[in-house]
Amino acid sequence: MNPEMIYLSPLFNDHKIGNFGDYKNKNQKDLIKIKEITKVNIFQVAKYKNSNIKIENINMDNLSFPNKYPEVSCNSETRILWTGPDVWLIITSNQNIEKEISLKLSEKDFAITDLSHSRAIIEISGKQSLDVLKKGTPLNLNSSEFKKNNCSNSTYNGISFILDFIDEDPLTFRLFCLRSFGGSFYHSITDAALEYGYVGE
Amino acid sequence: MLEIKCPYCGKRSQNEFSYGGDANIKRPKLGDEVSTKDWDDFVYFRDNPRGKHSEFWHHVSGCRQWFKASRDTATHEIFKTARLDEDL
Repeated sequence: MNPEMIYLSPLFNDHKIGNFGDYKNKNQKDLIKIKEITKVNIFQVAKYKNSNIKIENINMDNLSFPNKYPEVSCNSETRILWTGPDVWLIITSNQNIEKEISLKLSEKDFAITDLSHSRAIIEISGKQSLDVLKKGTPLNLNSSEFKKNNCSNSTYNGISFILDFIDEDPLTFRLFCLRSFGGSFYHSITDAALEYGYVGE
Repeated sequence: MLEIKCPYCGKRSQNEFSYGGDANIKRPKLGDEVSTKDWDDFVYFRDNPRGKHSEFWHHVSGCRQWFKASRDTATHEIFKTARLDEDL
């Protein structure tokens, strides 16, 4: 990046720090926490239809590529999400992954797109984060259907997004939407969280 | 809420899908002499049956795949869905 350029996160003008909504007389620990995730790299990997490569034979950051809905492969730095047949999202803070991708995924078999700056990412955690999600998405989020390390594409109040179930304790989800929808999406989520009270971090 | 079974993702809300038209329409073969009427039929004219109908659907807010569905246009019951390379 040009040193004269200033990095502005997708939610720079929207995300506010502090307590909001019905937070009074509630234990701070029990409140929903909402934060923006920045500076992670996102790569979309799409295998060409005419490619004979077996994706099971390829590892990325020591992770295999999941091969069906709603699987996620993950370690502490990298998550690989299944987003469609032969389409994956690699979300990582590992700076060496770009090199690994260019070494292991050949141009004739895969289309690689760097989406790092094209998504707004919100992380929502806390006991009632599930209720916030259920207000806007038609996805079945019951624990028998959608578990830790599952992901899905869906809509939230009509905005397409990707939901990644990060952890069960505390309940933590990451939500990815197109950068240009980030503001509307953020306000949809925070509006839904007001009745429980939330902390912007 | 109507639920549609995507062949790749399973049962999902209709909100995530987009209708893609009649799945029985065949494009006239390339290179053949095609009459204006045949082109008109292909481009503009569709049957509008009451009852069972084969359709294309797109899981636009999901896995972004096209698939086929057999649906009753009167009751909205969906009998079966299939990938494009499968028979309904």
